[in-house]
Amino acid sequence: MNTKSDILIIDDDKDMVETVGTVLEMHGYAVRKAYNGKDGLSQIEKKIPDLIVLDVMMSTDTEGFDVAYKLKNHELHRYIPILMMTSFPKYMAEKGVEKFQHILGENWPVTEFLEKPVDPDDLIAFIKELLDEKNP
Amino acid sequence: MDQGHQLIKDQLFFRKELMERIDWFILLRWIAVALGLTGTWTAYFIGYPIAIWPISTILLFCAFYNALFFFTWRHYRLFRSDDIEYYIIFAHIQVSLDFLSLFAIIFFTGGFFSPILLFIFFHILLTGILLSPASCYTYSVVVLAAMGIMILLHITQILPPRPPLFQNITLPSSGSLFDILSLYAIFSVTIIVTAYLITSLKVSLRTKGRELLRVSKELDASIIKLKALYGMVKEMHTCTDLRTLTDSATKNAAIIMGVKACSIKLLDDQRRKLDFVSAYGLSEDYTKKGPIDIGKSPVNLRIVKGDRFSIGCIDEKEAFQYPEDIEKENISSLICLPLRVEKMIIGVFCIYSGTPAFFSSEDVDFFSLMADLTAIGIENIRNQENKAWFVKKASHQLRAPLNAAFSMLDLLEKGYHGPVDPRQKEILLRCKARIKLLGEMVGDLLKIGIKRANMKMSALFDVDVKKKLREVATFYETRATEKNIRFQLQIDESVPTIRTDPQLLDHIFSNLISNAIKYTPAGGSVSVQLSMDNKKYIVFDISDTGIGIPDSDLSNIFTEFYRSENAKECTEQGTGLGLVIVKEALDGLNGSITVESRIGKGARFTSRFPVPV
Repeated sequence: MNTKSDILIIDDDKDMVETVGTVLEMHGYAVRKAYNGKDGLSQIEKKIPDLIVLDVMMSTDTEGFDVAYKLKNHELHRYIPILMMTSFPKYMAEKGVEKFQHILGENWPVTEFLEKPVDPDDLIAFIKELLDEKNP
Repeated sequence: MDQGHQLIKDQLFFRKELMERIDWFILLRWIAVALGLTGTWTAYFIGYPIAIWPISTILLFCAFYNALFFFTWRHYRLFRSDDIEYYIIFAHIQVSLDFLSLFAIIFFTGGFFSPILLFIFFHILLTGILLSPASCYTYSVVVLAAMGIMILLHITQILPPRPPLFQNITLPSSGSLFDILSLYAIFSVTIIVTAYLITSLKVSLRTKGRELLRVSKELDASIIKLKALYGMVKEMHTCTDLRTLTDSATKNAAIIMGVKACSIKLLDDQRRKLDFVSAYGLSEDYTKKGPIDIGKSPVNLRIVKGDRFSIGCIDEKEAFQYPEDIEKENISSLICLPLRVEKMIIGVFCIYSGTPAFFSSEDVDFFSLMADLTAIGIENIRNQENKAWFVKKASHQLRAPLNAAFSMLDLLEKGYHGPVDPRQKEILLRCKARIKLLGEMVGDLLKIGIKRANMKMSALFDVDVKKKLREVATFYETRATEKNIRFQLQIDESVPTIRTDPQLLDHIFSNLISNAIKYTPAGGSVSVQLSMDNKKYIVFDISDTGIGIPDSDLSNIFTEFYRSENAKECTEQGTGLGLVIVKEALDGLNGSITVESRIGKGARFTSRFPVPV
């Protein structure tokens, strides 16, 4: 890898951000960290990351989805792959999205959806796959 | 349009009446002819000098045209026309022919002095019953004219009377003109009074008939409305979230009330703004302009304070926050009612019509019933959603720290923070296993919590049971292979797609399969079978060659947190909740489960649940 891929982690759980950050850095990625949706969006404004690791429930139950939908409706940010991680059982989180679809249209805003805890090896495999899809 | 429709319905009602009477008349005529012939011939044989042949001919003529009527009526039903005109013409022909025959018989039995003259009154009565008042009067006048002419013919001797019955009577030709005119006058008054009485009676009956018809129509309409209301409540009962419920309520309300549009607005937590939660028949511009500030909308303020509001004509512009939008939507009249749960007002339910003064006070009452039922429905769903939200939130809050701790231990164990020796690694692995178990227990508790609170967490879907089982089985097959267990799957292709909550099937399949694999030692086998019983039940059968369940534990395995002794010895991993979840999921499907087991040989779980109708 010539240049380090830039990955933004958005999660309100500091331990989780540290853990994911450690794994990513060890595998040679440049990591930026945000502890809430607003901070995350402003960091994206400053510089578009190559990939976002996003939590669902932060200060509000659907903050992660709010961020994801905002990005999907943004002209420049809609192509950033989003890897969503949640402590919810996956099926419940997906049901949350069904509710959103009434309001925000049919576009599923998330590229990949993982249930926490995520095995570090799996995480790296998913991230590699997403980045390869983006820059074949 | 409506009026025309009404007229046709009226006509159909009176046509039916007319048709029944024509039947009755034909029957009466048969009787009259029979009695007439019997009477005439009896008189003849007794020795009265009666004009036997002319009278018999006339009566036979009556029989002939009655047969013709009978035939036409029965076999052709007047060409099955729906037009009442044909029936009226038919009735006129009958009445005219009857009068003609009667006049002829009167002529041959003594003219104006014939006792048969009295039969004219029956005919006037019958005409009054069969035809309109105007026709009845016309026939009366015709009768008077005909009798007048008959008297004239008697007097002038042009047609001398032939008195066959009362030969001793001095004929009027020899009596005074005054006498005969007085008789004629009395006759005329009697005829007119008869016609008047019968037509008045008929008009009064017909008015009552119309009234009855109107009441029966109103009753029909009420029954249709009530049925629709019942349908609406039934549909609302199946809704699992607020949006589908309110959408169903607005759509049904608009259809039942026969209006163009309907909306439901709910108060926010501060009770200061009304949000459109559902609108039917209104443009997006109208509903998407955001919440209504009740401080700026006097109408909504009044309703939120508990007023009923209905307006026949939108001219009080100051009452609305957006009067121009109401105009744009072509709304001319509306009813807005509070949505009330006991004393608490939670929102506003409105129906809108494009017609001014569309709503009656009955409409307001009926819509109010609808509003009360909808409010109960909304409150019910909200309670469920609140419970569901709490369980979800609690689950997340419990899992989040576990996940963080697990992830950190994971990094430690995988050497991300420096090398670990084998002893440390083993302890870390055990920590991870315990945390993972705790996470699973939280998940399992949540599943049971959802079921126990009877929350309608998920909507029903069409689920292909075969496909669902294949998905779950594929996931666990890998685990079985890793553990060197033979995994067999047998699926009967006739198992149908059913409408159900897919989560319930998932709970049943995954818990039972994972248990079987967990408690079967390497080299054993697990066999899964999905089949149909009598086309009514789906049977999920799973048997293993595992450690089995001691007889003494069989009765307890569906109890929360219970784990049999040999299971605990076998592995630490087990929440003691899996079978509880299976049992409760089967309860949700109206199904049942049975267990057979021999210790050390294996266990067999058979679940059965009906195919929903």
